[in-house]
Amino acid sequence: MNGDLQPRPDTVQRRQFIKASAMAAAAAVAGGTGFLLPILATEPAAGVQWEKAPCRFCGTGCHVQVGVQDGKVVAVAGDRNAEVNKGLLCVKGYHVGSALYGKDRLTKPLLREGAQYREISWEEAIKTIADRIEAAPERFAFYGSGQWTIPEGCAAQKFMKGGLSNNHIDPNARLCMASAVTGFLATYGVDEPAGCYDDLDVCDVLIMWGNNPAEMHPVLFSRVIDRRSRGEKITLIDISTRRTRTTEACQHYLEMKGHGDLAIANGIAHLLIRNGTYNRKFVESFCSFKAPDDQNPNLHGKPISFADYQTFLEPYTPEHVEELSGVPADQIRMLGDVFGNPELKITSLWCMGMNQHTRGTAINSLVHGVHLLSGHFGTPGNAPTSLTGQPSACGTVREVGTLSHALPGGRVVADAEHRQQAEDFWNVPAGRINPTPGYHTVKMWESFCTPTDKGGDIGTIWVQVTNPGQTLPNLNKLFNPKGDNKAGLEDKFLIVSDVYPTATTRLADLILPSAMWVEKNGVVGNSERRTQQWFKMVDPPGDARDDCWQTIAVAHELFKRGTDGMKDRDGRFLFEVKDNDNKPVPVWEWEHYYDVNVDEHLFEEYRQFTRLKHKDLAPYSEYVKARGLRWPVVETDGQWKETHFRFSEGFDPYVEEGTGIQFYHSSTHNDRAQIWFHPWIAPAEVPDDDYPFMLCTGRVLEHWHSGSMTRRIPELSRAMPGGYVEIHAEDAAAYGLRNGDKVKMESRRGALVIPVWIDGRGKPPRGTVFIPFFDETLLVNDLTLDAVDPFSKQPDYKKSAVRIRKVQP
Amino acid sequence: MIAGVVATLEDLGGNLQDVIDEIARMPCVETGDVGPNPRRLPITIDSPNPNALEETTRRLQECRGVAFVDVVFVHFEDESGSTTATHSGKPNSS
Repeated sequence: MNGDLQPRPDTVQRRQFIKASAMAAAAAVAGGTGFLLPILATEPAAGVQWEKAPCRFCGTGCHVQVGVQDGKVVAVAGDRNAEVNKGLLCVKGYHVGSALYGKDRLTKPLLREGAQYREISWEEAIKTIADRIEAAPERFAFYGSGQWTIPEGCAAQKFMKGGLSNNHIDPNARLCMASAVTGFLATYGVDEPAGCYDDLDVCDVLIMWGNNPAEMHPVLFSRVIDRRSRGEKITLIDISTRRTRTTEACQHYLEMKGHGDLAIANGIAHLLIRNGTYNRKFVESFCSFKAPDDQNPNLHGKPISFADYQTFLEPYTPEHVEELSGVPADQIRMLGDVFGNPELKITSLWCMGMNQHTRGTAINSLVHGVHLLSGHFGTPGNAPTSLTGQPSACGTVREVGTLSHALPGGRVVADAEHRQQAEDFWNVPAGRINPTPGYHTVKMWESFCTPTDKGGDIGTIWVQVTNPGQTLPNLNKLFNPKGDNKAGLEDKFLIVSDVYPTATTRLADLILPSAMWVEKNGVVGNSERRTQQWFKMVDPPGDARDDCWQTIAVAHELFKRGTDGMKDRDGRFLFEVKDNDNKPVPVWEWEHYYDVNVDEHLFEEYRQFTRLKHKDLAPYSEYVKARGLRWPVVETDGQWKETHFRFSEGFDPYVEEGTGIQFYHSSTHNDRAQIWFHPWIAPAEVPDDDYPFMLCTGRVLEHWHSGSMTRRIPELSRAMPGGYVEIHAEDAAAYGLRNGDKVKMESRRGALVIPVWIDGRGKPPRGTVFIPFFDETLLVNDLTLDAVDPFSKQPDYKKSAVRIRKVQP
Repeated sequence: MIAGVVATLEDLGGNLQDVIDEIARMPCVETGDVGPNPRRLPITIDSPNPNALEETTRRLQECRGVAFVDVVFVHFEDESGSTTATHSGKPNSS
């Protein structure tokens, strides 16, 4: 097949034309021959217009070409000009376009009246929200997500912290990657990975720590498998509590018990020191040592000497690590040998397994530590890299800082200088930003579900772009009381902006229909520091509107009412946007929202923050041209240049010449990273006689996260229609269970009746079970524990003790 | 629905053509010519609905000698109602 031979629609049937296009696209990508995809050529006869956008789903950040015809998305294709995916998509690519067109899209604002909802106008909806805020601004909270675009996050952040002087804003990313943030901060003094996806193309060893990229980040895994298919030697090591599709492709599978990773990381460090194979020069030049400060627990701990570190590690012999983790001592020695070999290039990947962990900060720090101790850092292929599950967990949550303690650009509300910088950039009066951190996710929802007279001081929550009614842990405590047991909670008010009905809208008092993906402009940031932009391509259905517009419209309603917080230093509206003639545009009126590019305005304001911590972004217009750029993006000789590897001379423009490696945001202010010791500690809850099984929760290939989009796609829903519990065959036999039998799963927090799948996909080890969280009719988070990591405040969804009882039919 | 996918083939000791032949015999599947990288096989899947498309992809993935399947192109047009594309702030020059 030659890409130059394009069948024309006027000479062949339409279907044949589409098929020829599909084959040409596949051939172009498979062959790597350098010719353009035919679908990107101008084809007026076909009537399909193609534009770029990042995929809506995970944090990989694949770029897709979106085909629009007659105002509707009709096709998607991998974008061959995108470095992330080089023209490839995963199977979710089949549905990224059709996710827009589920039959029950929310199209009208709905206000609860008793057990019913009444359709209301947007005007009434906006006034209702403003009434709630005006009555008690300090009792209002905003709950967002890593699916907020960067401009949406900027608007919410400025509205809350720069407008209402209220820091009760937090995202669902608290539930998925907060421990990665604290791990980076504790180690390097600044968040986000030093490496990037390029490491996958050159590493000799890829270690996946509780991570399943074959199903959750398939395009990245495909890059590695492709190398192997070309005959390159690459060793894949899977360290996990259950088998996955990733396991099948790995040469080594190390099956561990929950929290075994803490012992394994310490075991590797123990061997590096005992065998004298740590990288002495790297450590002496670029690292310091830290341990937890038990007297004064804090993220940055206390300094220790190398000798102290060595002493702390002494007990972690391979045999002891085997006892703690369940991984055979020989495999621990294998890992020690791998890290002790300076000739190998080693990349580590992790995601939920290490982050949803009550010692999440500790295990993140320890994995960074083994890379630093062994010197496997700072050169292509040598990197510890966390992955994210949402398209802008990095760009919006971590960089815009939509967390209860943070400000944009790595700033924090508790620091007076940081507050002043933010107030200057936002042009709001000095002292507007509240210095006290707001409530993190678990505390926010606990307060909302606690009666006001018993200290529940959050009265109204506005949820955008997420589904906490399904994804919060311990739902019977943190969400369900609002609906199922209203005693004392009658004054609480839940506002939910979403695209489909969800477990969250079920309990909402006000539901707002939102636009999604290419129904609006957007900018997001992926797992490798890459910022990506797209333009709106189609209209949202009915009266659905952009989340960002919703925030600005409420802000303006408050401004009209004279709320001081909605005025800047000059008395103007906080979100004033001017057109090319320098005239304010009434962007709070929907019919004028797209008269200007509000995204660009918010992005350019935010961009000022990014230079404060060497996370520089280029002007918006540069992202229009590019398939994303990795920050820091610095202008050199008139060109905006991205950064592949941070802290490394020759790659990072902020590293001084002659230093080699420079951790220029070191928490010890000496350009050094911190190598941490953290002891192994048992999970917050472990099986016992009453609750003898360890429950792990997670995702499945067919559904993205809570399934609110993918369960609308009938084909996916049929392929994976409902939740289930995976159980080991011998455990099933002991309980007299057969496939499809129903069991009552009970934890100390709730119960769930669910069908059994013996072994399932993951073949969980004996004494463990797995339940996916995509099914809103079988809420596994009724069972999960709400214990959190002490620093990141991220809950552990992977280790809850449960018991099983067969339900008689 | 029509999709273009790329199958990454494993080296099974010179049996690459056998793997390709087996794939070519699958219903709804058409294989393309192998290019400079003989282990990257372009394929189209022409199926009546997304369910069949996914099922075919799954069967491809499970084929002996197939290491991975990536999606490259999907056309999922259907007959449901449409809306009109509008101005988005995109500059005229791009």
